[in-house]
Amino acid sequence: MTDQRAASRSVPETAAELRRAVTRQFGRSLHIRTLDTGSCAACEQEIRLLAAPHYDLHRLGFFFTPAPRHADLLMVTGPMVRAFDIAARKTYEAMPGPKLVVATGACALGGVYQPDAFTHGGVGETLPVDVWIPGCPPSPLALLQGLLVAVGRLAEKVQDLSFIQNGTPR
Amino acid sequence: MTLWFLRGLRRGVVTTRYPARPDASAAALPTPPAFRPEALTRALADRLAAACPSRALARDGDALVFDVGACTACGRCLAEAPGAATSSGEFELAATLPAHLVKRIPLLAGGGAAAPATEGGSP
Amino acid sequence: MTAVRAGAAALPGLLSQLGRDAADDARPVITVAVPAASLEDAVRRLAAHPGARLADVFAAGGGPAAGRDAAAAGPVVLRLVWGLDADRGYLITESEIEGERYPALSDIAPAAFYEECEIYEQFGIRPGGGKPLNRVALPPQAATTPGQAPPRLGRAPVEPPGDVHALHHVGGHAFEFPFGPVRQVGVESLYYGLVTSGEEVVDLYLFTWHKHRGVEWRLQGRTPREALFQVERTEGLGAVGNAWAFAVAAEAALGLEPPAPAARARAVALELERLYNHAAATAALCQSTGLVIGQAAAEIALERLLRVNAAAFGHRYLFGVVDIGGAAAGPDAAVLRRDLPGAYGELCRAADALLATNSFLDRLEATGILTQEAARRLGLVGPVARASGVATDTRVDHPGPPYAGLPPAVAAATAGDVLARFRVMLAESAESVRLIGDLLDAGAGPGRAEPVGTEPGGSQPRGETREARGGPARAGMAARSGLGWAESSRGEALAWVALDDTGRITRARLRPASVRNWRGFDDACRSQNVFTDIPIIEASFWLTVAGTSR
Repeated sequence: MTDQRAASRSVPETAAELRRAVTRQFGRSLHIRTLDTGSCAACEQEIRLLAAPHYDLHRLGFFFTPAPRHADLLMVTGPMVRAFDIAARKTYEAMPGPKLVVATGACALGGVYQPDAFTHGGVGETLPVDVWIPGCPPSPLALLQGLLVAVGRLAEKVQDLSFIQNGTPR
Repeated sequence: MTLWFLRGLRRGVVTTRYPARPDASAAALPTPPAFRPEALTRALADRLAAACPSRALARDGDALVFDVGACTACGRCLAEAPGAATSSGEFELAATLPAHLVKRIPLLAGGGAAAPATEGGSP
Repeated sequence: MTAVRAGAAALPGLLSQLGRDAADDARPVITVAVPAASLEDAVRRLAAHPGARLADVFAAGGGPAAGRDAAAAGPVVLRLVWGLDADRGYLITESEIEGERYPALSDIAPAAFYEECEIYEQFGIRPGGGKPLNRVALPPQAATTPGQAPPRLGRAPVEPPGDVHALHHVGGHAFEFPFGPVRQVGVESLYYGLVTSGEEVVDLYLFTWHKHRGVEWRLQGRTPREALFQVERTEGLGAVGNAWAFAVAAEAALGLEPPAPAARARAVALELERLYNHAAATAALCQSTGLVIGQAAAEIALERLLRVNAAAFGHRYLFGVVDIGGAAAGPDAAVLRRDLPGAYGELCRAADALLATNSFLDRLEATGILTQEAARRLGLVGPVARASGVATDTRVDHPGPPYAGLPPAVAAATAGDVLARFRVMLAESAESVRLIGDLLDAGAGPGRAEPVGTEPGGSQPRGETREARGGPARAGMAARSGLGWAESSRGEALAWVALDDTGRITRARLRPASVRNWRGFDDACRSQNVFTDIPIIEASFWLTVAGTSR
């Protein structure tokens, strides 16, 4: 893409191009590294179940890898305990680009823990997050949806939800 | 090993078809609340914000600001105001921007005074 | 709960009173104020008492984050919680510590060493004897100058604790192998220091402070109900056990007694928690031995059990069930009766196949042996202790409602290896299913006891201080405090809570079972094991890092 063509594209067009590039790169094969920055262990249990028979993330072309060097996506749980900053950065920097970061669970998204002396209260300050998955813990189905959104195979849904009830209450 | 193999064959496939088909087990999952603006007075909005242990709710003027990302679906707001909040049933909540997770729920127009400062809920 | 002031000499009399109270089906907890000078003698007597087990040691007071200004801080009160399992009661000794030193406890009761280190980091008081203290709770960043350091529960120690571990001399060459805190995929962050001469594990020590979130500090100033949200999320895989222990402690302080159906609802949730944790441990055992097909079978059972939890109580991990004064959610008995047998049947089938697979059993037998002596000395609890012949189970030894009427059979073994722990877990699972049936038959549902004299938002004290059932009125140090316990899937979970006159927490002590049992992990790994045995042993312990690093 030449500079001239880049200059003539709008932001939404560039964003769409970027999404297509992400899908081309990761859509059929994605390797995931997890990172626990202080979770209660429930998120980890749901993440482990992604490889279990009921969910089987392998059928979608997703795999877990212990080596950051082989990883495309970093799945981060926990409120980012400050004592963990260095380990978190090292893990992220050990992953070669292009790479994605998915913040997983309410603790990582700013709930449960407020920022204070012990925790950042979320991972957004420390790592550049691409996708945020709410839940406490997010169920394996929610995790699958989040991963598929991250690689562009599913459209994001939540921005169009209003969380307003219409009509009479039940 | 034959033992394991035969048992597996007998049980059959348990794998979900999600995302190609919806998964019935999602119906039992706890989900963030959805609100009824016509029941949300300022006082109620303040009470809901105080009841939320994860600070997912706050009142900003005439709107209830709901941070879906901070919500743990604990249900305390539903218990506090059953007429104003019910389970949304939504579990596909992944967002590419934090702003997509922050919702403004309009309060009842002319919805009365704010709640007096309280000490908080029961023990 | 009775509170008395006594010296060490009065202990035998108190202990026999405990036995008498237990016969009344009260929840006997005796608090004894022991002057610091007689503390060592008291500990000696209690350690020698038959069936006595040091369950926890913690401190309170010393002023909030008073830094190094000792003059501004109040006295630190050191509490030892003893589980007197043979007498079916708990005894708490309270001692005011003036100055920096108190008698060395771990010389008499080795089960106290970890807690001595933690108390030093949080309160700045140390046991006599000069033994080096390790860093166990607060991360190294906490050792910087006052003003930058994270807040403590009391005052900072004069000298920071060392990052030491037992030096190990081996014949030949040994090297140290740091592993973690970022470990395999999908497991919690934990640092191992492995000392090895090649393949065998010469020594193993853990740094568990990476996940320290300051939960006990965070709970100060909250009401018990507000705090419960955080307590559940301290160790999510033990949410019911820890929340129940905390709720009992708060209820003891507030004088509340949950309605019987609510107590049964809590027990149903606790047994479901036990079931899914044992299924998860089975899956982890298969994964650690490389038996992928067994892992898949156990994971099918685990997933089905989690779905049963969601159907019965509205949450896969049973968050939001326990409430202060009762249970916030009741089991959907019809759905539970319909779905649990099938889910448990999956676990049974997987377990039967595993117990017939020799290649799997070979990896488990004689691996990670923990002797009965070690389990007792270290004060271990739960299936880990029971598999080593220490058959304590708070559902039987300290029965509160509803277990008083429905005592479970205690599963125990003597071999103390991974296979013994696996068998104990399977036996407990069978017992849990039976208990759930009995509890549902007796009627389980949500409900809450309300405290007397509460006004919404009012300034009246919350809850009356009530006398214990038939016991004397409270006197002594902790005016409104309470001890709570529950038999979580990992063992005895304890909690102790002190409330001020507005009903807010001044000190909350959370002691999930993981806190007790991680110290046995080193011993179990050291007994003639190789690297590849470590994940197997870890799966058989099935603890969490979050439960200890909180």
